[in-house]
Amino acid sequence: MGVESSSAWRALKQHCQQGAGEVHLKTLFDQKNRAEVFSVELDDLFLDYSKNRVTEETLKLLIDLAEQQALPSWIQRLLDGEQVNDTEERPAMHAALRAGGQGVKGEALSVQKDIELEFEKMAGMVSKIRAGQWRGFSGKPITDVVNIGVGGSDLGPLMMTHALQNIKSPIDLHFISSIDGTQTSNLLKKLNQETTLFVLASKSFTTIDTLSNAETAKDWLEEKIEDPQTLLSQHFVGVSTKPEMMTQWGIPHDNQLVFWDWVGGRYSLWSTIGLPIALKVGMDGFREMLQGANIMDSHFGHAPLDQNIPVLMGLIDVWNINFLDIQAKAILPYDARLKYLPSYFEQLVMESNGKSVNREGEAVTYKTCPILWGEVGPNAQHAFYQLLHQGTQAVMCDFIAPVERDDFDRSRTFGTDESLHYQHELAMANCFAQSRVLMLGDAAIPESIKQQFDSPFKHYPGNQPSNTILLKTISPKTLGMLVALYEHKTFVESVIWEINPFDQWGVELGKLIAKETHAAIKDESRADSFDSSTQNLIKRIVK
Amino acid sequence: MKVSVYGCELSGLVTAGALAQTGNEIVALPIGIAKVEDLRQGILPRNEPGLEALVTLQMQEGRLHFEDDWKAGVAHGEVLILSMPSWRLERAEEIIKVIGECAKGDVLVVNQSSFPIGTADRFEAQLKLAFAERGLVANVSVVAMPEFISEGSAINDFVKPDRIVLGSHDLKAIKLVKDLMRPYNRVTDQVKVMSTRAAEYTKYAVNALLATRISLVNELANNAEHFDIDMEEVRQGLGSDHRIGFNYLYPGCGFGGPSFAADVKNLVGTLQSKGYDADLLKAVLSNNESQKEVLFRKAWRFFNTDLKNKTIAVWGLSFKPNTSTVENAPSINTIRAFVEQGAEVRAYDPQAMNDFSEHWTNPHSINMVGDMYEALEGADALVILTEWKAFWNPDFKRMKKQMDNLVIFDGRNIYDPDVVMEQGFRYFGVGRGEVI
Repeated sequence: MGVESSSAWRALKQHCQQGAGEVHLKTLFDQKNRAEVFSVELDDLFLDYSKNRVTEETLKLLIDLAEQQALPSWIQRLLDGEQVNDTEERPAMHAALRAGGQGVKGEALSVQKDIELEFEKMAGMVSKIRAGQWRGFSGKPITDVVNIGVGGSDLGPLMMTHALQNIKSPIDLHFISSIDGTQTSNLLKKLNQETTLFVLASKSFTTIDTLSNAETAKDWLEEKIEDPQTLLSQHFVGVSTKPEMMTQWGIPHDNQLVFWDWVGGRYSLWSTIGLPIALKVGMDGFREMLQGANIMDSHFGHAPLDQNIPVLMGLIDVWNINFLDIQAKAILPYDARLKYLPSYFEQLVMESNGKSVNREGEAVTYKTCPILWGEVGPNAQHAFYQLLHQGTQAVMCDFIAPVERDDFDRSRTFGTDESLHYQHELAMANCFAQSRVLMLGDAAIPESIKQQFDSPFKHYPGNQPSNTILLKTISPKTLGMLVALYEHKTFVESVIWEINPFDQWGVELGKLIAKETHAAIKDESRADSFDSSTQNLIKRIVK
Repeated sequence: MKVSVYGCELSGLVTAGALAQTGNEIVALPIGIAKVEDLRQGILPRNEPGLEALVTLQMQEGRLHFEDDWKAGVAHGEVLILSMPSWRLERAEEIIKVIGECAKGDVLVVNQSSFPIGTADRFEAQLKLAFAERGLVANVSVVAMPEFISEGSAINDFVKPDRIVLGSHDLKAIKLVKDLMRPYNRVTDQVKVMSTRAAEYTKYAVNALLATRISLVNELANNAEHFDIDMEEVRQGLGSDHRIGFNYLYPGCGFGGPSFAADVKNLVGTLQSKGYDADLLKAVLSNNESQKEVLFRKAWRFFNTDLKNKTIAVWGLSFKPNTSTVENAPSINTIRAFVEQGAEVRAYDPQAMNDFSEHWTNPHSINMVGDMYEALEGADALVILTEWKAFWNPDFKRMKKQMDNLVIFDGRNIYDPDVVMEQGFRYFGVGRGEVI
């Protein structure tokens, strides 16, 4: 019997059918203290979830569902490092990475020492590189670090370092991920072999995308460096769970940073995969990010369900998806520094919950992960917001914005500081206006100009639910909190849906078939058994 | 003439001493760390050839007094000289404030310090405003007279100047300052009168041009190596061109010092903060920072990137000979680079070891030794960073006995490569010697 036939699920279904599914958001806001009731604050993070189509009754029933699904014990099992990833027979201990040795039990406690030792090794590298004392083959200091990785070994560090761009770093960071080589060839034209260090980041150290880019980087270095040992010892650092594979590739032991198979790729920015983040903001900044995430972990583990931010966000998503039938979610940061956050969450959420069999291997009969996408809000307003306001799709939105910006001086009321302050206010005004119009629709139109909107083309149905997350500022700490929040809320949904969020079998077959297809490109006769479309496409590129 | 000199660092003491020598009555007032009690006993904050003797003699003769009270300086001087390091601008502002508050009549301020362009004009306007507020009717003039002295030859530079640059629009002030400087301006008229801003800019321009010249020569020398060319031969060819001349043509391991390098940095800072172009000067500075590590890079390649537990002897820490100063000196960058790679450093300098210890903030410790040969004990290489005279003709036999590995990295090209190589040394200069 799946969750959909459970009593808590049926209670929600009934609640929905008895009117909760029909009531318009604007009506819900007749409740005067709604914003106060449906919001929660933790440290530097504030969540307003009042613009969701829920009542106190809905939340109560959702929490019943969570309890029925044994969410509290699942949370403890996750945080204690129990084997929550059953198909791969291992725990998912990303939270252990940021515990700093404190407040953990079980397996999560026993790995603390290994984690700290590895972070110390990483700290040594970081301070040497940032101090200009990591030398290239000619003796010049390294000035540019290129991270070669894909998926979790790319997106996390890319998203974070971009988000923290206002923090000055002595090192220029670059990212190469795509297998096609275009990024690599464009980047290498701008860099100098004497002062460039490559970080090879790959959990398995067999990822073809990464290794093929690494070979190109190596060829490029060989143009200038005669001694192969110097080339490897001064210009390559490896980050992997497989030290023996790094050694085999030629990375000297001193240049190896390890992490462990119990760190999922999409959760790996908290591990040594976060090396580029530490190079950007220093090891202290990196640890601030871990501490921020740890604040969320501790909250997730201890706060009652009805005040637990990841739990509330996860349950409301479940309500939206399974009861209100909303199958799309937009991530809308109102700060260009968070440009890569939507892509990061796309991976985190869809690779985790984009599944259709439960933990028992049975097909689920309900919807799981929605389609998730996003863009920097003010830019998206000029693109897909049309669909949000007037399309035929119901979409839930997460608006994310910093309360303060730290890249200008607020006390200065002239020049660029003044105009940047003005721009920040404008961005916030847009953020709040959009969520309001999505909620209220026509009801947001002021009485005085109602007449101008008297046209079927100017009709706004509203009733699109949204969350608004305000961060005090964009910092390592608040970003740590935010990412950990989404990790945990994704886990909450998986518990309700009874699926394993920590494997990703869906991406395996494609990799395998790519190898076969590559062989067929090299030797066309191997394509004989392929379908006609693939055969045709191969013909077009084989010359 | 009665003159007050604010600032008792190198420039202030040289100015005070030299002006006292020509019969002026001088009150000198320290504005930084130097203490009046020390100064009165002839204990000076700077080692400079001849300076202690000059200052002591003038005190004995009764023409030079050290005072603490800035107001006493205002009361004493017909001419008030500001002579302080460029980073002491705040102190100068305070002094101007004191002058504005307590001057009783006409005021002539001469600024020798390298403050931002426009400072003299600004000080003059501030003083005029202060006088107006007090209802005092008096002449106010702030003159720019940049100093062009170099450490090691400072007194001579002051008393036998190439030229005296005098920036002012006030004929009376010009006449007075010219008269003060008359003893140093006898053979031909060396005084170049111009606007205050032009005078201030001239100082920066001189250092910018010299710094550019040094960095360019260094770049040419580094590249000469790639073509197996001896830069010394090229230097001869270059210097004999009368349009170029021989001064500031020696390649080396980078320039430093408290004023020269700082002036260029300040100029670049000023230009950048206003959004003006400073591309060339920025390149000059970054080229120089890199050049400070040129010997480290040679050693790094020589030892095939493995400097761990190698013993590196260092001769010379000061930014140039005859000074105890290591500010902005290549020694700091070079030694830091070596110790960060796990090398041990044994260093000797005739004067600058104390100053080096004060500037050394790295957690790794280095050995300072009291004798140049002692530094060579068990050394895997010798690195020469300052061309002190004592290093020019050392006892090579003794050196060979002390050193484990006969390699010299010469950052000042003080040896003839053929001679040291005949002695059995590997020799790497800047644009000379072996190529690596």
